[in-house]
Amino acid sequence: MSTMSHGTAASHGAAVCGLGTRVEPFVFATAQYESGDWDSAPMVPANVIDSIARYTTIPVRPQGVVASLSSEAIFQYPLLYLTGHLPVRFTTREAEVLRTYLARGGLLFVDDHNHDVDGAFHKTVREEIRRVAGPLVPLPNSHELYRCFFVFENGPPTTSHEMNGWGDNLVHEQLDAVLRDGRIVVLYSNKDYSSEWSFHPDNKRFLSVDNTKFAVNLVVYALTR
Amino acid sequence: MNTSPSMMSRDPVWRTVERVRRRLRGVLLLRSVLTGCACLSVITVLLWHLQVPGLAPDSAGGRVVALAGGLLAAALVARHAQRVFFDSARAALWIEEQQQPAGPSSFALVTWVEQQASRVPTLRDSVSATDTAGWLYDRANAQLARTDIAGALWRSTRRQLLGPALFASGALALVLVSRSHGIAVVVSAASRPASLVAPEVSRLLPLGVWDVHVTPPSYTGLPARTVGDVHTVRVLGGSVLRVTGDGPLPDSVSGRAVRDDSLAQRTRVAAPMQTMENGRWTLQWVAAEVPMEFRMTRGGRTRLLLLDAYADSVPAVTLDLPARDTVLRVAAGRFPLRASVRDDIGLQSARFELIVSSGEGERFTARTVMVGEQRLNGARSATLSAALDLTAMQLGPGDIVHLRAMARDAHPQSAREYGLSDTRSFRIARAAEYDSVAVEPAPPPEVDKSLLSQRMVLLLTEKLQQRRPRMVRGDVVTESSRLARDQARLRQSVGDVVFQRLSGESSAEHSHYAGDGHEHGVDLAGGKLSLSAKVTDGMVEEGNDSPVIAINQPLLEAYNAMWDAGRELEVGDPAAAIPHMKLALAALERARAASRLYLRGKPPTVIVDVAKIRMAGKDTGVVSTRRARDLVPSRDAARDARVVAAAQLVARDAEAARDSIAVLRLEVVADAPALAAALDALLQTMARGGDVTDGFVRARRVLGGVVRTEAGVWSRAVPP
Repeated sequence: MSTMSHGTAASHGAAVCGLGTRVEPFVFATAQYESGDWDSAPMVPANVIDSIARYTTIPVRPQGVVASLSSEAIFQYPLLYLTGHLPVRFTTREAEVLRTYLARGGLLFVDDHNHDVDGAFHKTVREEIRRVAGPLVPLPNSHELYRCFFVFENGPPTTSHEMNGWGDNLVHEQLDAVLRDGRIVVLYSNKDYSSEWSFHPDNKRFLSVDNTKFAVNLVVYALTR
Repeated sequence: MNTSPSMMSRDPVWRTVERVRRRLRGVLLLRSVLTGCACLSVITVLLWHLQVPGLAPDSAGGRVVALAGGLLAAALVARHAQRVFFDSARAALWIEEQQQPAGPSSFALVTWVEQQASRVPTLRDSVSATDTAGWLYDRANAQLARTDIAGALWRSTRRQLLGPALFASGALALVLVSRSHGIAVVVSAASRPASLVAPEVSRLLPLGVWDVHVTPPSYTGLPARTVGDVHTVRVLGGSVLRVTGDGPLPDSVSGRAVRDDSLAQRTRVAAPMQTMENGRWTLQWVAAEVPMEFRMTRGGRTRLLLLDAYADSVPAVTLDLPARDTVLRVAAGRFPLRASVRDDIGLQSARFELIVSSGEGERFTARTVMVGEQRLNGARSATLSAALDLTAMQLGPGDIVHLRAMARDAHPQSAREYGLSDTRSFRIARAAEYDSVAVEPAPPPEVDKSLLSQRMVLLLTEKLQQRRPRMVRGDVVTESSRLARDQARLRQSVGDVVFQRLSGESSAEHSHYAGDGHEHGVDLAGGKLSLSAKVTDGMVEEGNDSPVIAINQPLLEAYNAMWDAGRELEVGDPAAAIPHMKLALAALERARAASRLYLRGKPPTVIVDVAKIRMAGKDTGVVSTRRARDLVPSRDAARDARVVAAAQLVARDAEAARDSIAVLRLEVVADAPALAAALDALLQTMARGGDVTDGFVRARRVLGGVVRTEAGVWSRAVPP
């Protein structure tokens, strides 16, 4: 981990969004889709926003938004968070809009709230991702996603839900992704960050190590790559 | 003079005339040969330039045509020569014409020769005739003496052969020099086996016309077709494309995907299979599913073949019934299902797929059911019908059925994508779900921690009570007070949970009390908590199963029981504390067992105080160096520049301009169909040989987004 001072980090954070120009604050967007329980982790947005404010100087809107996948409003948001437990079936319109969103440079972060390899969400959402964006491939743990702000030497941080043996009873070594021109367009996680990060941000004070820091990397990556 | 043939052959006059005749005949034969060669060369060059299908210079047909032309020319010249010079009288006349200096001819030589040629050798002439012949002979002989026959022959030879020789040389030079020694190629190609036609030879011939033959994939059942000498051919991905032409194989063949997208980048352009047969070359590819461009070069000429390749589209599936999502109170009866499927080539099978998910909270199970599978045997469209027996599916309350129709065409690829409809879902209602409201999920560890600790405190208290008869009162009070402090700590933790759930505040026990003006959902009075009237209104009476009540009321009970237990412990009466502690433990168990519901709705509103927590984190990160991105060029500007360049090229090289436009059309057909249509119209105009100005203008208007409204009756631009 770097020993960089807060001030320097702050200036870097500002540089991320471009100094000298009017900077629109980052807005954390949760994807709403027709099928399934898209809102199963309602506290994740607040927690991620809290982490962005806590560790970076990236201007951030204090409240997340819910963006319907069938609406071109999602084009305003560089990062989309999608989760759930139930089967995911994109409508034709949702698939079209999402395909365009990814082609225009958006990043879709999909987290399996079931963290279950054979779960309905896992199977269906991977199928839908393949249909919309192409096949998912393992993302190497040396990828710049894991060092674009905080450094995660061993790849994606392990969640307590994995450690407790819930879900598929596995600790997943890596995330999967769809890469386009070397850039992540879809990031898929079986690690259940939706459970791990779904708590009131005020309760971070009880944690010896903030488990939401990886979300900062995700946002920084989406904004800068 | 009476002469026999043997005598005549020895006569010097006759011999001279015959020598002249043979010499002239040889010259004229040579003239005919030269003329034939010249014509052969000229026809060969013409065939190269005219590119007549099947008559390439190195093909059998081309050779026959060239040789026939040459022989015909030679025969005509030879026939003319025979008619003019191939008898002795004409040779004698020619000699008389060469008399120097020129003067009135006596025709003695011609007359004598005619007499000699017309006589039968065995006849004997009369005396007068002999006298005449002798006189004629002398005159003819004298005439020969006056004539420079050798010089005349040389001048005649030069005159007769110079023109044809120059003509033939020029034609041959034209073939050899300007068209890379065509005669040599014809000879070489004819004399060598086809497989031995080496590249160095093939460079000699420019690439000519070709025939394009397309064989669609066998699974489609579509017929093969020959499209002839085209520069653009629309093919289905997987089709076998065969291009054949005359002469040796092209020197170089290169291919690339025209479109600039990920699919095109992944597409590998395989080298074509090259064969030679009967003097014709053949290149064969299997077409990919993206537009491709192939350049073939031979003899300094490059031709472009554009493959407007398209993929076999997956079937289009529309789910007609059920028309919308729904919620069922009872999972019974039959559910009609209907879907429409269609495909561009042919359907193989179709069915309905159902995923039934059961469970709640974070525990879900799913099973997949296939219904109504139907074989479609290559039909282009079909209607799929089935009925879903809900009773047989044994659906329970809370189960959700996700339904969609799927169809597959006959494409043989194992990972072939199914055509999928939109998904409809129907849910079996829970009996009590209308009494539920969305609640923030509670993190279990806090409650569990309190629960374990409460059990431990209870165990310690029971042990104290067991030891109490053997202990002095002071020790009992001391130990009981310590347990009371543990109990108070646990009570405070439970209070935190209650306040957090109801009001979002972490702890409020220290400062909140009944009537303090704050609305927390609970009232604190006499050390005990109770739900405020506002929270319980309309809920408790309905069966105590509201999530708010189900989770928080047991916690309130636990809190209050802990309060009572703590009071008893503080006064040193563990026996009295134990029932309260057991009540608290039971209440915590109930709180733990309370179901947590995930219902769709508006998520809890949390507004992060960004200014307050800005850079308050203890950890620091580093923004790694960001790669500079290339500026994205204006795609439309680049395309416009290409259209303009092609327009400027039309006057100089129409074929190159056509190729440029054709390549551009293939590139844009995926993302700019309007421009592709405009360019297609332009290409058709080019093929017709019409005025392309309007086509270029229209293409540029499409690029620039210029919309011209049609002239109406009120338009001043339109004459009435």
